[in-house]
Amino acid sequence: MKGVVGFAERLNEAARAAQTELENSPADRWEIFAKASTTREVEVTPGQPSGVIHVEETGVAVRTWRNGLAGFATASGLGTLASRQAVEGAFSTESPLARDPLPPPRLLGCSEIEAVRNLPPKGWATHAGGELAHSIASRGGGRLDLRRVIIQEGAFAWVLATAEDRVARHDDTSTALLAEVEVSGDRAGVWRDWLHIADPEAFDVDAAAAQICDRAMLTRSRVATDSGLRDLILHPEVSAQLLAAISGLFLVTGEDDDAFSSLLGPEGRLAAPALTLVDDRLDMDAPITGPCDGEGLPARRTLLLDEGIPRHRLGSYRDANRCSETPRGGALRLSYRDYPQTGIANLRVVTGAGVAAGKLLGLADRALYLLRPLAPVAFEPSTDTYRIIASGVWLDGHAVRGWHPVVELRGSLGRLLRRIEAVGTDLRWFQTDSGFIGAPSLLVRRQPVVG
Amino acid sequence: MREAPRPEPPLDPRWLEMLCQRCTDLRGGGARFEDLFLEQRLEMRAVDSGAELHVEECRLEGAAARWRSPSRVILHARTGLSARAVGELLDRHADRVALPPAHPALVAEMDPPRGWLDWAREVTSRLRPAPSVVRYLSRRAALVRAGSWVSISTPPLVRVEQSGSNPAALLAVWGHPELGSWLQSLVDPLPGKRWEPRPGTQLPVLFSNGTAGVLMHELVGHMAESDLVAAEASPLADLIGANITAASIEITDDPTRFDLAGAFDLDDEGIPAEPIAVVSGGRFERFLCDRAGAQTLRTEPGRGRRALWSRPPVARLSNLVLTPGSTSPEDLESDIDHGFVVTRLGRATVDPVSSRTVLQVERGWEVRHGRRRRPLAPCELTGGVVEILANIDPRVGSDPTPDWRLGWCVKDGVPLPTGSEAPSILANRLEVL
Repeated sequence: MKGVVGFAERLNEAARAAQTELENSPADRWEIFAKASTTREVEVTPGQPSGVIHVEETGVAVRTWRNGLAGFATASGLGTLASRQAVEGAFSTESPLARDPLPPPRLLGCSEIEAVRNLPPKGWATHAGGELAHSIASRGGGRLDLRRVIIQEGAFAWVLATAEDRVARHDDTSTALLAEVEVSGDRAGVWRDWLHIADPEAFDVDAAAAQICDRAMLTRSRVATDSGLRDLILHPEVSAQLLAAISGLFLVTGEDDDAFSSLLGPEGRLAAPALTLVDDRLDMDAPITGPCDGEGLPARRTLLLDEGIPRHRLGSYRDANRCSETPRGGALRLSYRDYPQTGIANLRVVTGAGVAAGKLLGLADRALYLLRPLAPVAFEPSTDTYRIIASGVWLDGHAVRGWHPVVELRGSLGRLLRRIEAVGTDLRWFQTDSGFIGAPSLLVRRQPVVG
Repeated sequence: MREAPRPEPPLDPRWLEMLCQRCTDLRGGGARFEDLFLEQRLEMRAVDSGAELHVEECRLEGAAARWRSPSRVILHARTGLSARAVGELLDRHADRVALPPAHPALVAEMDPPRGWLDWAREVTSRLRPAPSVVRYLSRRAALVRAGSWVSISTPPLVRVEQSGSNPAALLAVWGHPELGSWLQSLVDPLPGKRWEPRPGTQLPVLFSNGTAGVLMHELVGHMAESDLVAAEASPLADLIGANITAASIEITDDPTRFDLAGAFDLDDEGIPAEPIAVVSGGRFERFLCDRAGAQTLRTEPGRGRRALWSRPPVARLSNLVLTPGSTSPEDLESDIDHGFVVTRLGRATVDPVSSRTVLQVERGWEVRHGRRRRPLAPCELTGGVVEILANIDPRVGSDPTPDWRLGWCVKDGVPLPTGSEAPSILANRLEVL
């Protein structure tokens, strides 16, 4: 194991302790989930003492089912007391449910995933933070100030065991970086970039600095405003917020099963053929991977939107059952504290047929290049409407005509999605309220710009 | 209601006393021991899918030790409060920690109050068919410093979240006498035909029904927090002593109001709770600081709050309270020629960089010639922090009302319970976004 050395045996002991309690209980079926994680967060702020946070968190969660009653409880720690508290808590929370929420053994299993990732060596975070600050300073030419860099390294391990002797285990690491730069002068504004670092050894500090600086530097041009029907290029961050806004369409929640009806165009098309979306739980370059979902169903790559046409939705076993859909392993359990819920793990745009971002910019004439969202993208399925408030620049071919500090776009979401002409190959991962989203630049033809 | 919360049994006092003796003069790696925070939490959830309900229980406990050197501030945190867990935690940084083999005496487990589940069932059934979650949240905590320790009390809370097509939420102190009427407001049906104001319209807005507390939470509360002030990210940073709003406006951040969700008897750095007059006679008087912020800004601490044992304390407001005036809210409304009255806000944010606030109106009315005409469709209002404050009408309503809608405050992704109480106030100009 790479980061949580020594936890494997404690996880097994916690699971065994809970198992002993449960085997001597009247539960018909049960599930134990024990997890340990360690995280290290280093914050580098120029001129300030650096901040370092080390957190080690462990806990046990238990789900039970007997005679039509379901229970769920969690307790922190990996000792016998935590296991006992979780088991007793599960029985004390029993409430009647129409169906057993635990997936049947026939659905459980593990997918093979590639070799797990390693944590960076000790001192890497402080070193990378310093190098990044240096690189940003030289790229910014005195016009960009680094406010702070936060580097997060984490390692975790978990074990999932059921009454039917099914056991899944996983351990992995994750590394991410958050940088905030401020444009100096009258164009003041903080630009925040979060970067998922799939492989710290291959981390390119200069490329990261370029990603962080280049967008912010575009605001140095004169202010220009425009309105009307215009071509749009969405920066990956804006694309990600748009996908986050519509991601609920791809979840089985039972709340609004007819959400697609007002959005689909001819041939049942939600979006243009250029757009294909998957929830990929097997991609080792994505933030969340593992052999199974949060309930033990094998991890998979689920096709959500196939060249613009909706195909499948994600759901936990219980939600899928409730909506009479096939369970596809769509449960998510980010912490032992939470009940496994329907959710996206890594929703990403398939960019196999994409074009390079530089070429994408050249494909549009007199286009608005939306650089960053200024508010969450609003989307109302019942009326097929969306609203994007963002900051962007106007382009004439490859030349920047001017910066539009706050621009608003409103219109039909269906029309927006069906006018996506091309996707870029510059896919980046973003942390959104809806989960991790991997998005590239998008070229959209003729959309109404309010001004 | 200003009673103390139902006290959770404190952690073993003898154990805490022993810890504080051992933590005196603790050093390690060139860093000085700052404090040791210990916390237990209970969260009960009644989760209703719209058709059936299930119950979840979550028990958490952990500790965090802070160390400070001239070049680094370090926080080590880990699950568990046992002697072994705390010993291991201190050992991670200290040169030597000789904890005796004594163990803390077991204290009674935290349990939800009797009747909570029946109450949650009733709430979720009233919200059906919308899916909803009802949470009961309680905690007990203690802080150990070199040579002293304190127990920290906060009121137990309930949080109701309704999802579906009309998402809404409620946060309140458990047992608050108004809880029933707030729940009724939560389930009140939306008016049928609603008017959507045109973007760019600038009109006076009367904040009624406690929503002025949310407005001031954003404009004054967050902007007075020391981390934003020290980073020069607050437009109020240089305005201490300046008249920032109408002379009739008095704003106090008051953690001693145990009927409001942001209450505590000591902050999470061990400073006894005291009301702070942030705005007095329209003058900006005080920042809200944690210990580090107070040192930087050379003022008093008392607002260092932790979202969880594993997070460091940061400067956060508690309960923002506006002193009521003598004008009846009806008079304020009847003087509006054309404007809005806001009765419920769904979300409020302030961007410290642009110094603009965005307020999402959940419920409200168009007012013409002093009369309510059309119910508002959900819309957003915006304006600059300094400009809105400068354009507050000097007449202040006589109707102090707690806000139950938006206490769950998220800053930098970290949520904390806060409270507010305010009378109706009139902002002379906000823009529809």
